[in-house]
This record gives sequence, structure tokens and C-alpha cells, in this order.
Amino acid sequence: MAYADDLFRDAHHLAKRGGKHPKQSSLRRAVSTAYYAAFHLLVADFVANWRIPDQRARLGRMFEHRRMSGAVLEIGNKHSPTPIEADIKSLIAKFTELQKDRNEADYNVAKIWFHTDVARSLDRADEVFTIWRRIRKEKLAQHHLMSMFGARQN
Amino acid sequence: MLMPVAVTQQEKIRAEVREVEAALRPDVVRIRYDMGEDWSGQWAIFFRVVLSDDAARSRLRQVANNVEWRLAEHLDFNALGVFPYHNFRSESEQAASREEAWA
Repeated sequence: MAYADDLFRDAHHLAKRGGKHPKQSSLRRAVSTAYYAAFHLLVADFVANWRIPDQRARLGRMFEHRRMSGAVLEIGNKHSPTPIEADIKSLIAKFTELQKDRNEADYNVAKIWFHTDVARSLDRADEVFTIWRRIRKEKLAQHHLMSMFGARQN
Repeated sequence: MLMPVAVTQQEKIRAEVREVEAALRPDVVRIRYDMGEDWSGQWAIFFRVVLSDDAARSRLRQVANNVEWRLAEHLDFNALGVFPYHNFRSESEQAASREEAWA
């Protein structure tokens, strides 16, 4: 099983740990791990296109979290996006929310996490997996993945 | 950093959020929000949505997606210059936390 899938299973495991009285540390790790699962899902597909296998891990470390959600998607007709454009737009929104959740989980110790918010964050990661696996072979999806990596469209 | 258009549209935003809140009862108990910069320095609107216990427990994905979709339908976040973030909590969880920002 791929690393991203393993991480996502870990996130679920952490979210369930402690039953009705979970530790905040477990909930925070669940949210953070769900984000990293989605992150590594995308990174793995990007580096898989690199011809030299030995260099793929190094390439994967070049990703900048901030840049990934900031990549702009140019939609042909804003009022009537194609199904692929709509999927990519949805993926960007969910990934960006996951980044915010991860940032809060890792750094905002004042925030108290509850099961509902954690479950929603895991749902978002699950939706990122589903959407990406549906569109990953599409040219526009691959182009956007390059933009997330920092490559300019023009 | 320049202020987003959303800052000048407070009344409209409030009215639209109230409309979504009313349309989605009883699954949605209330929606609160505020605006500010997110972790990356971009302007954002942070929604705090309290759901009924039943919706949170047994239909979370469906209800949460519906809330997010309805809010986006009512508010053009691109035009407002803010990115929408959504956090969810059940009524019981909010009762336990008593956090004012969610009340």
C-alpha cells in the first residue's frame, strides 16, 4: 500500500484512539496526519513522472506547502466550468482547508478539538483522495499539479 | 496588505449567512463567522458551524458539504476577496466547551 494510504489509515486510527475521551494530542495528530496523507498523495504522483527513481525522494522534499494551495487554476468559463475544472477547484478548496487545519493542529495549542471537526478534516482528506484518483490522468490535473509544485503556466 | 471587498459588504454577508442558516435547519443550529488573515497571510472568512447532534453523528459529510456548497452559492468568495474556511461542531460539543465565539 502506498505511503499516502498508510498515513490516512494512521489518521483514522489516531482519531479513534481514546474512544469517547480522546486526548487532544491524538486528535491533533489525526488532523495533521490526514493533511500529510493528502500532501504525499499529490507529491507521489508528481515525482513518479521523474525519470530517475533515485532522485524522486529528493524531488519530493522540494515541495513548499504554502505554494501548493496558492497555485492558480485558470478556468475557461467561470460560470460553467468543465467537470475536470470543477473537480480541480474542489480539490484545491479541500486541500487548502486541510492545510489550515494542519497548521492549527500543529501550532495553535489554544484550540480545543472535538470529534466533529476532526471527522470533517478526515472527510476532506478522503475527498481529496477520491477526487485526485478520479482525475489524476487528465492533462489539466497534471498541469495543475505542476503549478502546485511552482511551475508557471506561461 | 489591502483590505478585501468583503470588509465593505458586512451587511450583505450577514444577511446571506442568516438565509443559509435558516434554510438548513434543523441540521444547522447556527453559523458564526469572522474575517482575518489565514496562516499564509491571505484574507479569509472563518465559518463556525454548529450542527445538530444527529447531523454531526450520522450525516456529517452530507450536511457539511451542503453547508459549504450553500454558502458558496450565496457568497461569491472570489469577488469578496476572501477564502472560506469551515469548522464544525455538534450542539453537545459546543455545550461542553461553552466557547463564546461559537454561541
